[in-house]
Amino acid sequence: MVKHEDLKAEAKKLLESGTIKYLIAYERNARDGKAIPVFIKKPEEVDKITWDPTCFHNLVRFVVDEKRRKARQKNPDTRPVGVVVKGCDSRALVILLQEKFIDRKDVRIIGVSCETTGVIDERKLAKKLKGQKAKNIEFGPDENFVVTTEEGTVNLPASEIMADRCLECIAPIPVISDVLFGEKTKRSTPHPFGSVDKIETLSFEDRWKFWSEQLEKCVRCYGCRSVCPMCYCDECVADTITFAVTPDTTADEKALKIKWLDKSPVISENIFYHMVRAIHLAGRCIDCGECERACPVNIPLRMLNKKLEKEAKLLFGYDVGFDPDKPALISCFRDEDPGDFIR
Amino acid sequence: MDKILAKKDFSRWLEALGAYDVYAPRLIDDVWNYELAADPKAISLDYPQTAIPAKKIVFPQREFFFEFHEADTDGYELKELLPGGKPAVIFGVRPCEGKAVTLTDLVFGGEIKDDYYWKRRNSAVLVGLACASPPSANCFCLSVNGSPHSKEGLDVLLTDLGDHYYVEALTDKGKKLVSEAGAVFHEAKPGDKKAAEKIHADSEKKLSRELKNIKDVPAKLKGMFASPFWDDESMSCIRCGICTYLCPTCHCFDINDEVESQSPLAGRRVRTWDTCQFPDFTMHSSGHNPRPDKAARLRQRINHKFQYFVEAWQNYQCTGCGRCITLCPVGIDIIKVVEKVRDHVS
Amino acid sequence: MSANVYLPKLAQVISVKDEVGGVRAIKTFRTKFLAEGFTHRCGQCAMLSVFGKGESMISISSSPLVTDYLQFSILKMGRVTSAIHDLEVGSIIGIRGPYGNAFPIESWKGKNILFAGGGIGLAPIWSVLQTALLQKKDYGDLTLIYGARTSPDIVFKEELRDLKSKMTVHLSIDVAEPDWKEFVGFVAQNILDKKPSAVNTIAITCGPPIMIKTCIKALSEIGFKDEQIYTTVENKMKCGIGKCGRCNIGRHYVCKDGPVYSWAELRQLPQEY
Repeated sequence: MVKHEDLKAEAKKLLESGTIKYLIAYERNARDGKAIPVFIKKPEEVDKITWDPTCFHNLVRFVVDEKRRKARQKNPDTRPVGVVVKGCDSRALVILLQEKFIDRKDVRIIGVSCETTGVIDERKLAKKLKGQKAKNIEFGPDENFVVTTEEGTVNLPASEIMADRCLECIAPIPVISDVLFGEKTKRSTPHPFGSVDKIETLSFEDRWKFWSEQLEKCVRCYGCRSVCPMCYCDECVADTITFAVTPDTTADEKALKIKWLDKSPVISENIFYHMVRAIHLAGRCIDCGECERACPVNIPLRMLNKKLEKEAKLLFGYDVGFDPDKPALISCFRDEDPGDFIR
Repeated sequence: MDKILAKKDFSRWLEALGAYDVYAPRLIDDVWNYELAADPKAISLDYPQTAIPAKKIVFPQREFFFEFHEADTDGYELKELLPGGKPAVIFGVRPCEGKAVTLTDLVFGGEIKDDYYWKRRNSAVLVGLACASPPSANCFCLSVNGSPHSKEGLDVLLTDLGDHYYVEALTDKGKKLVSEAGAVFHEAKPGDKKAAEKIHADSEKKLSRELKNIKDVPAKLKGMFASPFWDDESMSCIRCGICTYLCPTCHCFDINDEVESQSPLAGRRVRTWDTCQFPDFTMHSSGHNPRPDKAARLRQRINHKFQYFVEAWQNYQCTGCGRCITLCPVGIDIIKVVEKVRDHVS
Repeated sequence: MSANVYLPKLAQVISVKDEVGGVRAIKTFRTKFLAEGFTHRCGQCAMLSVFGKGESMISISSSPLVTDYLQFSILKMGRVTSAIHDLEVGSIIGIRGPYGNAFPIESWKGKNILFAGGGIGLAPIWSVLQTALLQKKDYGDLTLIYGARTSPDIVFKEELRDLKSKMTVHLSIDVAEPDWKEFVGFVAQNILDKKPSAVNTIAITCGPPIMIKTCIKALSEIGFKDEQIYTTVENKMKCGIGKCGRCNIGRHYVCKDGPVYSWAELRQLPQEY
């Protein structure tokens, strides 16, 4: 079990010694008992820190923000930021390190093991509680979650309300950390690509129908892209939300910039955006599930990325986000890689 | 003049509305949204809150302004594409969404009228549903001059009395809609009115959230423009568009030309929703951006809703529906932010 | 009967003049409506449409007293302005407007007017200058203090030569050039150098944001009160009519409540532009 006091003590130590400039952690929102990201700058504030099954956010997203912040400052504080990571989140850090987006010295990694269970899926929990509101959710013994509502406290089997990605998790323990809390328990994952396999049993026409219907719902709020730590491009090919314009960028350069997508949320543009994003995440998506969680219209987005993770594994034997010294998927090859598409 | 409609007769009312495009809340993949009602018998108004508010029907996410195409004489022909088709009826509109439409009316009206908005707005009929209990855990309509049974912006208000609805036709459009299905309705009795009034009164006690004492917030915000408060509050913002796209009062939009053929040039000028939360919203062509960071953009959202709109229209630009709180992926809570502004000591 | 505000009127380009070449090219266009057009007041702008590319909000720099054409000077900056620069005499564009508020020139009758412009910033205030010249007896002394980075960057070169016989003109460039005989330095410095009188005078300044800031400071130093200084602001715009929410500074929409502001008014707004 991960003890809150141990986490808080570590945070306090790091802040008091000035080793980190601030800590990105989880805080419990007293109102609905669920965790939200918190930025702890002073040692006195460490009591805010929580670790419970509602810590589903991928805090590595804010490590990306920190890099952007430093780039805007004249004399940035170059100390690392502390970040609390689960197993999946730690793999996001590995990707950022592989791609040299950040240096190892930019982060102080506080790993937390998910041990035998993962984090909850809010929608599954809401269905299970049938309208009752959860006030508190804790990790319990025997792979249960201890859920407190207005009616009382109940033990729910974690597998019934755990996020789908946790049921397919291949890294319950952070693969990189400066300090690790929780036990290094083994967890078996018989079907790491179960959700993708299910879709693949459908015929081609049914699959196209499924995805067309789903992506028709998209309102292009870009919640999926915005929440993803790996979508850090300043200029996104799918929709340039920020041009990298300097005083030297000529009018012709701006005029000739190709507008790949129209802003209209119609099926052609929606499919283009989501497919391009999925392909750009091949070998980079570590299935934190945040894109799917953020989506306000419940598009099963993680399946698109998961499919490409499966392709990476099957075609190229590539495991995503385990070793920061290994190259990125698209920047390396093996002699035995399939080449039948080269004619 | 008020009527009663038995719930079992509800589909008969809908069947009488062949001259309208009927929208009602539908559950698709666990998300409620207003959709064209395919089967009148399948509609039930037993639902909490839609993800996308009713604004999408009078102010759709995408609409056409006009067509353009190159004409033979080396010029262009423009063809205006004003909305046409059947008028819309939207069932189940929550009072906060009705009030929100009166606020977008202020923006799209005035000295210069937006013909596209008004064509839809003038013909649309909003059939509201009083909130016997709050549709969302984050509802706070009472704190922003709204109420769970407010009639603002609505043409008809339905109150759920168990196995029938209390039906109040509020405007000429509403009266017409009710009269289209005449025999389906019965005259309301004094007891029905009392029951509806009790539900309305009780509903005001059920909201679990409030935003108290915000009278001085507009003035407070004016003084906090340069405060580092906004850096702290915006740290977890991921600059998506969820809060603003799903807000019933937000109205920002973009205009783009969508080209369908290069030669001869032909296409359409299209309006789509936009959001002040996207980084390039205010970016000049030169690269200069008056709102270059998240702090500036969060400040704009809060200031627009609780200061600028108040100065311009004497109304908060927020109807307390709570969608931005519920759906923000990182838990940014507008109630908490405004409370902090209220209590801020510089 | 009000026409659809988003529907542009068609107009034909009747002349194109190269003001400044190179990477930061500026061209002056004159346009004539194909059918009924509109009249404008000094300081107002119009949305120019290049169909297929988009729209750009540009100040109308011709005087309202000139009815044969509308004049626009456009700096080539991005996609739409590049498309405008590709237009030729005879090209058809869309124009909708006039948008925004106007310089209160009626209330300036009997006063002296000082124009302080930099670069393309001369274009938005040119309409006032032309109107004042056409109604010379209604106004006091007219003075222009105008500068550009280099002498090729000066706009309205021929017109400025003619202007010297009709009013006081002080020019400047940022860095010395061999044949340049006038002031070398920024426009703000030239203001302090020439010290125009603030008595019964209105100052209008327009140019890049940094120039506006330094000029306002310089004008204040030589005795101009906040109410005597006017400027015209720009922001990214799309609808031009205060509905799309993009160009606001505080509760004002620059396209509707601006772009003309006195410094007294502008400093009340959030400094976010």
